[in-house]
Amino acid sequence: MSEQSDILPTRQSMGGIADQLTGIPLHFPADRRWLIAMTVASALLMLLMVSVVELFTRGVGIWGINIPVNWAFAIHNYVWWLGIGHAGTLISALLLLTGSEWRNSLNRFAETMTLFAVVCAGIYPILHLGRPWYVYWMFPYPATMGVWPQFRSPLEWDIWAVLTYLTVSLAFWYTGLIPDLAAARDRATRRGWQIFFGITALGWRGSARHWQRWQQTYRLTAGLAVPLVVSVHSEVSLLFAAGQIPGWHSTIFPPYFVLGAAFSGFAVVSIIAVSLRSWFGLQNLVTDDHLDLLGKVLLATGLMTGYGYVFEVFDAVYSGEAHEMQTLIDRFAGAYAWTYWGAVILNFIPLQALWWRAVRRTGWMLLLISASVVVGMWLERYMILVTSLYRDFLVSSWSHFTPSFWDWSTYFGTIGLFLVPFLIAIRLVPVISIFESKELLHKEKEEQQHG
Amino acid sequence: MKRRIDHQSAGGPRVWAGIEELSDDPQFQAFIDAEYPAVQEFSKTARRDFLKLMGASFALAGLTGCEKSSFITALPYVDQPPNEVIGLPRYYATAVLLDGYAQPVIATAHAGRPTKLDGNPGHPATQGRSDIFMQSAVLQLYDPDRAAAPSRHGEAVSWADVESAIGVMRENWRSDQGEGVRLLLGPTTSPTLLRQIDAFRKQFPKARVHVHAAAGHEARRQITAAVYGQAAELHYNLGDCDVIVGLDDDFLGPGPDQVRNALGWSQARRRSSDRPGNRLLMAESVPTATGALAAHRLIADARRMPVLAEAMASALGVAGASKPDVTEAEANWIAGVVDACKDRAGRSLFVSGLSGSAATALWIARINQQLGNAGRTLNLTAPIVGPADAGTLADLVSDINAERVTSLLVFDCNPVYSAPAELNVGEAIKRVRSSVHLGLYRDETGALCEWQLPLAHPLESWSDARAIDGTVTILQPVISPFYDVRSVHDVFAKLLGAEDQAPDAAIRETWQASFGDAFEARWKQALHDGFIAGAAPFVTASPASNTVAPPNTTGDLDIVFQPDPTVWDGRFANVGWLQELPKTLTTVTWSNVIAVSPALAKRLSAANGDHVEVTVGKRHLKGPLWIMPGQAGNTVALYLGYGRTRAGRVGDQHGYDAYQVRPAGEPWLAQGSLRKLESREDLAVTQLHHRLDGFDLAREVTPGQVEQTTPEQASLYAPWPSSKNAWGMVIDLDSCIGCNACVTACTAENNVPVVGADQVRAGREMHWLRIARYYTGDVAEPRSFFEPVPCMHCEDAPCEMGCPVHATTHNSEGVNQMVYNRCIGTRTCSSYCPYKVRRFNFYDYRSPPESPEHAAHNPDVTVRSRGVMEKCTYCTQRIEAAHVAADKENRPIRDGEVVTACQQACPTKAIVFGDINDPNSEVSRLKRNGRHHVLLEELGTRPRTTYLARWRDDDTESRQG
Repeated sequence: MSEQSDILPTRQSMGGIADQLTGIPLHFPADRRWLIAMTVASALLMLLMVSVVELFTRGVGIWGINIPVNWAFAIHNYVWWLGIGHAGTLISALLLLTGSEWRNSLNRFAETMTLFAVVCAGIYPILHLGRPWYVYWMFPYPATMGVWPQFRSPLEWDIWAVLTYLTVSLAFWYTGLIPDLAAARDRATRRGWQIFFGITALGWRGSARHWQRWQQTYRLTAGLAVPLVVSVHSEVSLLFAAGQIPGWHSTIFPPYFVLGAAFSGFAVVSIIAVSLRSWFGLQNLVTDDHLDLLGKVLLATGLMTGYGYVFEVFDAVYSGEAHEMQTLIDRFAGAYAWTYWGAVILNFIPLQALWWRAVRRTGWMLLLISASVVVGMWLERYMILVTSLYRDFLVSSWSHFTPSFWDWSTYFGTIGLFLVPFLIAIRLVPVISIFESKELLHKEKEEQQHG
Repeated sequence: MKRRIDHQSAGGPRVWAGIEELSDDPQFQAFIDAEYPAVQEFSKTARRDFLKLMGASFALAGLTGCEKSSFITALPYVDQPPNEVIGLPRYYATAVLLDGYAQPVIATAHAGRPTKLDGNPGHPATQGRSDIFMQSAVLQLYDPDRAAAPSRHGEAVSWADVESAIGVMRENWRSDQGEGVRLLLGPTTSPTLLRQIDAFRKQFPKARVHVHAAAGHEARRQITAAVYGQAAELHYNLGDCDVIVGLDDDFLGPGPDQVRNALGWSQARRRSSDRPGNRLLMAESVPTATGALAAHRLIADARRMPVLAEAMASALGVAGASKPDVTEAEANWIAGVVDACKDRAGRSLFVSGLSGSAATALWIARINQQLGNAGRTLNLTAPIVGPADAGTLADLVSDINAERVTSLLVFDCNPVYSAPAELNVGEAIKRVRSSVHLGLYRDETGALCEWQLPLAHPLESWSDARAIDGTVTILQPVISPFYDVRSVHDVFAKLLGAEDQAPDAAIRETWQASFGDAFEARWKQALHDGFIAGAAPFVTASPASNTVAPPNTTGDLDIVFQPDPTVWDGRFANVGWLQELPKTLTTVTWSNVIAVSPALAKRLSAANGDHVEVTVGKRHLKGPLWIMPGQAGNTVALYLGYGRTRAGRVGDQHGYDAYQVRPAGEPWLAQGSLRKLESREDLAVTQLHHRLDGFDLAREVTPGQVEQTTPEQASLYAPWPSSKNAWGMVIDLDSCIGCNACVTACTAENNVPVVGADQVRAGREMHWLRIARYYTGDVAEPRSFFEPVPCMHCEDAPCEMGCPVHATTHNSEGVNQMVYNRCIGTRTCSSYCPYKVRRFNFYDYRSPPESPEHAAHNPDVTVRSRGVMEKCTYCTQRIEAAHVAADKENRPIRDGEVVTACQQACPTKAIVFGDINDPNSEVSRLKRNGRHHVLLEELGTRPRTTYLARWRDDDTESRQG
């Protein structure tokens, strides 16, 4: 226990951690880099806004979709963003419940990432609609005509799943933030910051009763969030699996999607961890041991995702169904084989380097591998959508899909939508949980003294 | 039990993916790479540009001298006409024209505007059936690019100016008895027009008449005249044939005789329920729909047709036929022909087309004589089309060039575009002192003539015409003209010096003589029935005994000219429905192609869409290549009707102009060469893949394979409770000739939008019904299949489950409904649809509010806006109308009372719709047929639309030609 739990260097003071972390919003140390990043992110966000105006003015025809490939980038990126979001919840909630305290250095920004990734995912179902102004018809409001949504539809489940997930993620993130907001409030010197943190800290005084109630709330929310990760992405997979289209109609889809989601999410967490650590000099809090653990998780989820790939192939071959085989061959050797092989190579080949401890503990190597996984998982969703739809059952309806400029601009725009609030959050709230780091440090010191 | 025909089993035909797969050529490989993620240019605007233009041009037309009312003002009745009930359509029997022949129709008019044309069920020749041209005529009526007012040298003038000019012309002509006056017109069957022409020639005895037709039966009549030594028209009696043998004759393809031939052929084909009723053997240079249906199809270059005809004649014992050298494949085919004709005296028919010329036709005629077919399966009449002693266009041009023409009057024909370019008609017309063009459009010819007079559409004028069998229809207007137009009879009346008269006066005058005392009653009867009973009487004639030399075939390649399957000779170029209709075998839209054989394409290393240059003599043209499976190795097919420059905003600048290289002397078969160019274009194709790949998608059965069908697959879902009626459809694949009449009828009935070439390229065509084309077998000699695919109306529909807002639902009669105003456009239904029959409004495909196209809309069908899914509804508006009618009379709906638009149009009656709860309905009867099967039955969707398998004529049927 002692070996593993010494994840934070014990030769640092409690107050030092608090000063260091509250200092990031209060005395921002990286103004120039932040501004550059913010400029790029804002430009991307502007691109999204232009794309959305164009989309709402002219219709989804501006995208490359057609019949039969009438689902493409909107659904594809929706799944991708949502998958990324799941890692935050998994790291925070699941590891909180299982008592893996090494999460304490990672959970805050992982949760932040979840929140904004879910927002990015969440706008796609609206953009996707032919008539987005009627999106409220998906809700069971008391319509004068007495029409309700159709509860058999996976899209209907989807709306509920994502909204529930967003709500719970927000609650979990904010609950976890309260003690730190109070810490920031107490260290704030300027009036504006004092008011901002004063309001957002909800009057936190750190009394024992506060801590007790907070613990209850936090753990309960975590208990809600963990099954949601599984249910939300299982549900997303049913968007596909509920249809009869070859390449979609498979019972392996729910676990396959959940694991894929965790895989891509941990990759993004690794990217952010490595970046923030070097950006704000947080090597004392996000240690090489943390990277090592992230690398292991990435490797494990990656291998589990790989299992999904293997069994997808096995299922098709074992069924012997002509159309399933056709889709399999299309994926291996068809016009979009580059997406299949791209996904396989980018997801699983660089990943194998993580078997080596030295690689896991080297920030830039972990970053590169994670980037490869993020791209690989993006290609995987492209592959699942397009290679199934472009040649389904009737040969006479076979066609092709080419993304248009607006497909790409909307996609890159959502990266802006992710980065802008994320950068603002970095600027405004402590990126690493102060009290939880202190708690961990305290424990480690205690153990050292008594051990 | 499923009868799966495994195309990959040993000894079976080989299946192939695309022509390029057969080649290792890197360029072919590059084409494969390029075909799929095709670089797509998306149209810059949300709406089709041309429709905006349509709207704009309409507004202009309103400003520039259109005296009469237009669409812009639509006022309600102040005094409602006594028989007009708002909301109830009225029906008029009349006709539209193709190639001069009447296509008898029943026009449906809502509030005084025709919206839909259907065949006239009582008519003896067409029996209520349609073709694409008939269905589309209503859109041409509303074309805003039509000539709207008379003009002189392009300047708007009034009809009073025209009349005074005609008066001056008449003065001039009277002085020299019409010396130098020439009439040029398309073929016409109108007794009134022929009477007026005769009257004109009486007044001006030295005037001459010329006829110009770029495509159609004119060429057939010339060949027939050469063969029989007298002017005559051939009539095939396909309904009585056991065996039909054709040489390059697409008698089931588009043309004035398509409907009658298709009806006869399909009747004979269905004669027996346990085997195919007739046998079709075709030798073809260029694949056609007819060839696709043949039991035994021989691929032969066009130049081989006279040889084959003589070889058949020799094998069948026709006197005087020598035995020419034939290849093994040809000999096999001829042996098959001889075998099939054994003991079939008077029950077989030999036919030939245009590419083989009179030499072929003469042998064919002698064979028919020899086998006793003449007078039984083959009949002759005197020419139905006139005028009888007309000169040709070539005569006219040489007369003009010899300065013998002072006045030229062109009626409803466009020689500047549709004459062979080597005649240089445009230059000739410019040399004529005074020229008048009367036409629907200010087209290429109209632009060069001094006077351009706008012609009334057949649906807005009085006239008369004969159908293909000679039966006369009186054409009555269904709408009063909304442009400042005149009918051809009105203009002729002025040329004859008549005073203003009633618009039907000329027609009444013609029929006064034959109707006699009972005129009013018979006139009314004729208008009511839509025809005057009495087909042209048959005559007997024997083939000439002389020999005719086969055409010169010394060049590299045979260049065959064919009318385009959808825009014909170019006259329908501005009709959006026809432009967007996938061409029968290629599914190309909005362009014509240069069709070559796979072998020739491989020699050229060219792929679909590559530009090639065709050289005939000294003339060249450039166009996109199309690899046509099953085309003869050294034959190149050019399609007429494209490359127009003054068709209108819809029809201009698509494809290439085949008239540029068409020789005036040999307009159907020429010799030439082909060269590949560096450039290429993306063709707007609706079906990219045609291989069947072992999939059981278009089923064939041999007579020995017909079995009783087994009960439906078990389902975990409880069946829907059915109300009184349960609608279902059966499509007989054996009868489908791929003619597209159903698709056009569906477009007209259901307000299906035209989306333009760019959207078709992007894969967004909107047709609710597509005719899938499949090939199996060797690429050089494939078997072809047609399979109409409308919505299947599944009992367990994947689409219904996917929609989050209940926009697609199942009704108690089993119809899978689409609730447009509830649809939010998630497209889940389409993603889940295994048949991909749903269509989505990716943009706002509606016409702008001011567009006259709205007048053609069916008011009973919602016009869909952007972001909404749509699909086949089984013509739900017709089902509801039948319910209303039945409820009013308190009776059940009768079998055959609900007729879908596609069913109504189908010339072979391949589509049957009805109540499957009624065990005695025709559709129920067909669902018990041994050939009945379900498309993708293994998915358990339990479709209401099902199929009858195509007959494979016999087990030993040769596929190798």
